[in-house]
Amino acid sequence: MTSFLQATAYGLLQGGLLALVAVGFSLVWGVMNVINVAQGAFVVLGAYVGWEMHEWIGLDPFLGMFVSAAALFVLGYAVQRFLINLVVNGPIFITLLLTFGLDLLLVQGMNIVFSADYRGIRTSYASNSLTLGSIRVPVGRLLAFALAVAVTLLLVAFVNRTRTGISIMATGMDRGAARLMGIRARHVYALTYAIAAALAGMAGAMIGTVGTFNPSAAGGFTLMSFVVAVLGGLGNMYGALVGGLVIGLVEAWSGQYLPGTWVYALAFLVLIVVLVVRPTGLVGRAYYTGRQDV
Amino acid sequence: MATSTQAPRQAVTPTSRRDQARRALPWLLGLVALLGALGLQSQLYSGQERTVTTIFMFVAMAEAWNLIGGFAGYASFGQVVFFGLGGYFTAVAMSQWHLTFWVSLVLSGIVGALFATVIGIPLLRLRGHYFAIATLGVAEGMREVVINLPGLTGGGAGITVPTVGRDATTPYLGNDGFYLLFLALAALSVLIAGLVSRSKFGYGLRAIHQDEDAAAAMGINTTRLKVLTFALSGFIVGLVGSSYAFQQVTIFPERLFDVDITVLMVIMVVIGGSGTVLGPLLGAVVLQFVSEFLRQHFINLHIFILGAIIIVAVLLLPQGAVNYLREARRTGEYSLLANVRRYRL
Repeated sequence: MTSFLQATAYGLLQGGLLALVAVGFSLVWGVMNVINVAQGAFVVLGAYVGWEMHEWIGLDPFLGMFVSAAALFVLGYAVQRFLINLVVNGPIFITLLLTFGLDLLLVQGMNIVFSADYRGIRTSYASNSLTLGSIRVPVGRLLAFALAVAVTLLLVAFVNRTRTGISIMATGMDRGAARLMGIRARHVYALTYAIAAALAGMAGAMIGTVGTFNPSAAGGFTLMSFVVAVLGGLGNMYGALVGGLVIGLVEAWSGQYLPGTWVYALAFLVLIVVLVVRPTGLVGRAYYTGRQDV
Repeated sequence: MATSTQAPRQAVTPTSRRDQARRALPWLLGLVALLGALGLQSQLYSGQERTVTTIFMFVAMAEAWNLIGGFAGYASFGQVVFFGLGGYFTAVAMSQWHLTFWVSLVLSGIVGALFATVIGIPLLRLRGHYFAIATLGVAEGMREVVINLPGLTGGGAGITVPTVGRDATTPYLGNDGFYLLFLALAALSVLIAGLVSRSKFGYGLRAIHQDEDAAAAMGINTTRLKVLTFALSGFIVGLVGSSYAFQQVTIFPERLFDVDITVLMVIMVVIGGSGTVLGPLLGAVVLQFVSEFLRQHFINLHIFILGAIIIVAVLLLPQGAVNYLREARRTGEYSLLANVRRYRL
């Protein structure tokens, strides 16, 4: 029973981080109909920025993640504005290939600059554990979880409550109508992508604090984003949170009870079944049912 | 009425003869290319021969992807699953069931086609991004299944095809043998693409690509057509995977289910021109040649440069070289910058 509770706690904590990794991916897919294969590369890049901040000026990673977010925001804005916007109306494999090329550039660039060695951001407190009854919870993971959930909820509030956020949703629902209302779609798209990249960077800095990373970890984060975003329903940010927690729990439980890496086979099976049976995701209804995919 | 039907009939004969000549030309060119490739073999030393063999392998896979992704417009991002299945089926059949390579090769193709049918029936109902993600999930999931069945597949440690001694069911083909084998596969895939392109089947696929609902309304059995095409594509890629496994001798799940192989197929088709027969052939030859050149001259940077090439190619030639040239010849508009404006926001 203790091991089950421990696995549950670990799964929830991991799930929060996965949600933050995937929420930007889900936002970009939902609003722009772009599958951002470079999402994982942004996560790892964020981790490296956090790591550099910690090495250079001894900045605490939980502060450094805001530097990561800012750096990735600028990068993401530029990428969307000057690259993806150029082909955003193309067939799907065009945008997919473009972000794949970007992923190759970023991952190989990081391989050249930082080498393929595994790194981790080490702090004095992150690996200390709190004991709650019979289960132990590392402080770093708890902090990362709390921040990840808070940021995800803030994003939901931002998108639903602020003028800018509503213009993002409006552009996602009907770009033509949004433009007629005076929304600058180019800017809104760039902003959306920038937010997604910033959140990925933030998640990366936290992942670097609670574990290790290297450039080739990027592919795994991208795939996890697919699974979480599809489970949650595309463009649905609460959905990403639920999807992240579900996948975190499934991963932790099956790690306990299934041999080997069957958990990943299971995750992809779930992905396919959800796509076929309920493509709107586990929670809520489709956001963009009325949209014509151009 | 009588005169109006007679008048064109007289004009038909010379036009149709010219038409016949024009229709026969691509086949003749293909034959010349095939003979050229056969003649080329004796001029290459072994390193070059292996490079050209790899080019043939990608020609076959790009043409196969083009059937489902280019003609039918269903962007399968899990096409490598047939490659991996074909390869693993051959490795298991040869090492554990002691079948010869040639039997395993044919069975691998059939396994690829059957698997494509089984997953195609539910997944081809999905459109656009959903289909892409679902097929990607199939490929990734299948890799994990292969890793986790070490008794059958050797798991992450890989599996070795017996090529020497008493266990060898078929003697290893060597560089020359594999050159011919992959050339045959490339020729087969181009032939299939050529036949599909001109048949009613091919026009049905193009109709599905343009507007699936309208195609269905016109009486095209879209589900049957899509599943058949997916199976055909899976068949070819299964054959290629099988041959690749025999060529490599030892295979690993990470390589045989590598998502990069799918992406290479897609980028070759996109650069060359999707929905054409010549495009994937051209894209595979050019991209594989450039990639090999970069690998030899910029050992550390070659993937980095490849990423940059992909981005530039997608921005400048989103419809592919062949389609670009066709349109440019028709409209007289050769500017690549006009091309950039095509899909811009």
